[in-house]
Amino acid sequence: MKNKTIRIALTKGRLENKTVDLLDKIGYDVTELREKGRRLILSIPGEDIEVVLAKAADVITYVEHGVCDIGVVGKDTIMEHGGKFFEISDLGFGRCKFALAGKKGSNFYEGYGVKTVATKYPEVTRSFFENKGMDVDIVKIEGSVELAPLVGLADGIVDIVETGTTLKENGLEVWEDVAPISARIIVNTVSMKLKQQRIAEIVKQIEENL
Amino acid sequence: MKRYDLLTPEGTRDQLFDECLAKRTIQEKLRKIFTAYGYSEVITPGLEFYDVFNSKTRYFPPETMYKLVDGKNRLMVMRPDNTMPIARLAATRLREEKLPLKLYYNQSIFMVNPKKSGRDDEFTQSGIEILGGERVAADYEALSLAAQALFAIDEDFTLEIGESGILQTVVEDLNLPEEKSEQIHSLIESKNFPALSEALAGMSGSAAEAVRALPSLFGESEVFAEAEKYMYSKELRTKLAGLRATYEALCSMEYSDRIKVDLGLAHKKNYYTGILFRGYVEGYGLPVLSGGRYDDLLGDFGRNAAAVGFAVNVEAAAKVFLRNTSEPLTKPADVLVFSEPGCEIAALNHCSELIDSGLTVFNSLFATADEAAQYARAHGIKRIDAVGVNSAVTTKEV
Repeated sequence: MKNKTIRIALTKGRLENKTVDLLDKIGYDVTELREKGRRLILSIPGEDIEVVLAKAADVITYVEHGVCDIGVVGKDTIMEHGGKFFEISDLGFGRCKFALAGKKGSNFYEGYGVKTVATKYPEVTRSFFENKGMDVDIVKIEGSVELAPLVGLADGIVDIVETGTTLKENGLEVWEDVAPISARIIVNTVSMKLKQQRIAEIVKQIEENL
Repeated sequence: MKRYDLLTPEGTRDQLFDECLAKRTIQEKLRKIFTAYGYSEVITPGLEFYDVFNSKTRYFPPETMYKLVDGKNRLMVMRPDNTMPIARLAATRLREEKLPLKLYYNQSIFMVNPKKSGRDDEFTQSGIEILGGERVAADYEALSLAAQALFAIDEDFTLEIGESGILQTVVEDLNLPEEKSEQIHSLIESKNFPALSEALAGMSGSAAEAVRALPSLFGESEVFAEAEKYMYSKELRTKLAGLRATYEALCSMEYSDRIKVDLGLAHKKNYYTGILFRGYVEGYGLPVLSGGRYDDLLGDFGRNAAAVGFAVNVEAAAKVFLRNTSEPLTKPADVLVFSEPGCEIAALNHCSELIDSGLTVFNSLFATADEAAQYARAHGIKRIDAVGVNSAVTTKEV
């Protein structure tokens, strides 16, 4: 009955690779994590750690429900998805930002009309403008958000900006920063208490090797 | 138009057989503990006026309550919490009642969860409230009952205690605008160390130091020595000493190895004013029990009395109980009774005789003996009694 294995959920893709590098640096055997094939649950030989690979928002869901103890996920997903968990550490990698952007040279705040904002992150956008006490129409876009202001669907966009190259090449510019983003360690609120020592140990190892 | 006649609303579900039995078993175990200690049951309405939950302190965000209107267009809510109605009750119909009052309840609450989160919008809480009484004695009793309730759910439980007064004082001493204090409270609650250190950037002084340290101060008795360093006033030292005394008192009881402490324990319902506690069991990602002391809440309803209480999430407890139980809870009937055509009354009479002798029966209602035998085999019923003319009974083992 006693299950003391620590299950870590990693966000597939770039954050996964960075975290696996980190685990490697700590000294864990990550061969299985590097040669995973199509498997979704992986183990670290000789350790009480199991690694699960999932999409960003799912990492939060798994940790929230307690089926995974620890998660590595971007602040962007945490801001959009929300949830109840401990957000105990900023890993510092995967750094970028949410920004409000639009056509170069135009002024988003000009005029009385209600503005339309296109975004993949409606929650982040809603809370950003809510804090400004400003009504905006939010349009959810699934693909390249940069297209929306260009074809006249929106007055501006809220999106993740890393280098700003895509914006530049399409005649757009950042108007305002919304929030900085980086990878975070999240922990289930019950696991944190019931597996306190082991989780503290792992988190400490990770933080020391950043 | 799309019809929803075959679905239950998201966040609700039909509960069948073993699920019901597990739930009833938990409720019965808890009821036994509560009544053994002299608690009396109260049942409050499922529908309440919105105003009951909309006090000026706003413990319940309006978007988390199911609302409807009554015949006079007044706003109503589906009961989102059991403590507020009991506070209302204590200040109204129980106004003249001498304190301490010990009450227990066993009823469902409703809340709007984020959609597709897999959380229940309706679930049952079983819990107690102690109104009045000497504070320390009442705290100890509530904690002792909480430990017993958790033991009944899963012997391998953890009971964690904290003290909301410490955090409140420390955050107040930062002298921040209300919005910022609320933000800091929620960062402490989510142990969001990076954001907390950002929010406190540039602040110095003993209060800021304490706020930085408290969320990471959780574990066992060693926590108290560490916390001592951050208690910069007599008031705080008294509160910590009180919590330590409670911790040690609990450890001296039966469940010493299952008690933990978290000085960063915060609760979204900030009506708590003193001790806070939560119960955890392995394999369930949320607390199965939570409670604390709320000395100001009854005052909101016009009766000044201190109070402490807790609630067990019965569905969560039932889930854990089912998982820990290897055999199915639903047992087949001992005897299947089959009646020849025209002997239905004789069959029913035979049923009551069997029941009187301590057996359970399934009166088969089938037209043919073959169908009845088939049913008995499929459902694991070991004996068939066929009732014929003149109440003749033929017994067959399956």
